[in-house]
Amino acid sequence: MSATASSSTHSRPVARPEAKPGRTVRFRVKRCDGPGKPVRWETFAVKPEPGANIISCLQQIAASPVTVDGQKTTPVAWDSGCLEEVCGACTMVINGKTRQSCSCLIDEYAPNEGDEITLEPMSKFPVVRDLWVDRARLFDALKRVKAWVPIDGTYSLGAGPRESAEKSESRYVMSTCMSCGCCLEACPQYQLEENPDKWPASFIGAHAMNQARLFNEHATGAVLKGARLDTLMGEGGVNDCGNAQNCVQVCPKHIPLTESIATIGRSVTIHAIAKWFRG
Amino acid sequence: MPSFIEKNHFLLRRLHSLTGIVPIGVFLIAHLLTNSSIIWGGGALREGFDGAPFKDRGVAYFQEEVAWINTQVPHLLLIEVTLWVSLAFHAILGVYYARSGSANTDRYPYQGNWRYRVQRLSGYLGFLFIFYHVATLRWGWTFLIPGGTEWSFRYSASTLAAALHGSTTGLTTVGVVVSLFYFAGVSLLVFHFANGLWTAAITWGLTISKAAQRRWGYVCAGLGAALMLMAWMSLFGALAVKHDDARRIESQLHHKAAGLAPKAAEIADTN
Repeated sequence: MSATASSSTHSRPVARPEAKPGRTVRFRVKRCDGPGKPVRWETFAVKPEPGANIISCLQQIAASPVTVDGQKTTPVAWDSGCLEEVCGACTMVINGKTRQSCSCLIDEYAPNEGDEITLEPMSKFPVVRDLWVDRARLFDALKRVKAWVPIDGTYSLGAGPRESAEKSESRYVMSTCMSCGCCLEACPQYQLEENPDKWPASFIGAHAMNQARLFNEHATGAVLKGARLDTLMGEGGVNDCGNAQNCVQVCPKHIPLTESIATIGRSVTIHAIAKWFRG
Repeated sequence: MPSFIEKNHFLLRRLHSLTGIVPIGVFLIAHLLTNSSIIWGGGALREGFDGAPFKDRGVAYFQEEVAWINTQVPHLLLIEVTLWVSLAFHAILGVYYARSGSANTDRYPYQGNWRYRVQRLSGYLGFLFIFYHVATLRWGWTFLIPGGTEWSFRYSASTLAAALHGSTTGLTTVGVVVSLFYFAGVSLLVFHFANGLWTAAITWGLTISKAAQRRWGYVCAGLGAALMLMAWMSLFGALAVKHDDARRIESQLHHKAAGLAPKAAEIADTN
């Protein structure tokens, strides 16, 4: 039994194998020197410290970048920020599944001597280098759905409308999105698109629909609801969702993304009918 | 210049969803209900075949249902054309939409993801099946049914059995291939409809919460199971029918009708 207590948001298995101290873990890493450069695989051997995560192992590799074949190579590049699973920067594909590397504990993933962990960059965003990707499209999508509360202006707008505790509580989980990109990486409808001119017509993704819902349900944010729905009604919007529902399975924040998509679906249905009759 | 598809994106997407339910889905329910009567019709109360074996009464019931549809239902051609146009629209747009995705069940083998994948696969194969089914049994493209005879609503069970058996005398190798294609085709299409009904409720925004989606899922699964049962009853019922037995029963019905209704008698006379 591990000493780590499972938190309320993360349901990790309680009984898991005891990690062998002093073991060697192999890291198979998908590498790329930069945009347009060829892809290659390299394997590194690391002796993880107790409680190590992917990032600390990548730091060990960076300190001595030699592959298992004894070949000297460049340090593996990665992106990271908070190291506590709230910024989303260190998201990568670990053993074939998308998740944050900072919260990925080696003791769970590779408890035995010789266990191997595969690291790949997310496939739906352009690679900057190695495991580091450019998530610009993800943030562009948030701009397109105006994922904010409009309060800027030249004069004071005064106090906003009262928010009930119930409503703000229901919105809270939606607001925990850290724009990590897991929902997009796992989505079969979301494809890699490097040309920004093609972003508006390409599927926008679950994260943007969840943020649109979050601000549509905010009393002040709701003034932009029509503009948000106009965007989500068109090409690349909510109708392009294929309902595979992988997004909700991989969301590290357990945001009910599929409920947000259905809510936007309902809003868009009403919006479209209203527009058709009203003009 | 945005293309026609881009400009009418919302309308086309929602029409794609709607046509899957009305008219295609509604027709599917009626169609499978009629076809499965080749089995359950044996237990239904209908005059004239009181002493006959269960199987014969099923054939008689089915024949009377099919004859009724083809002689009594008003605007049958209009209904058929509406179905063909809806099917073509649903299929062409469906292929166009399906091509925008890329399956990833190898990495994310969740049940929902598998349904997403099978939904697209069943769309492709299902459309091929529908085309074959309609071309052979409705448009009379007999060169596509080796050993079978042209389907006729006056001899609905016997000509259907011949088409599935690959001969009028019994099951042939070609018949096995055709029947397996029918089994795959109808099973995939029933899944496609049941799963499509489930996702349509999300698309239109009817089911929102996880619990509501689960509840609606039970309804769709129940409907799907019932339709699957009917589809298999139709296929195995038709396969169990012997061509000559069915033809004898159909002829008896024609003679019976000749003494009762002038319109049906007219049909019987032309035989």
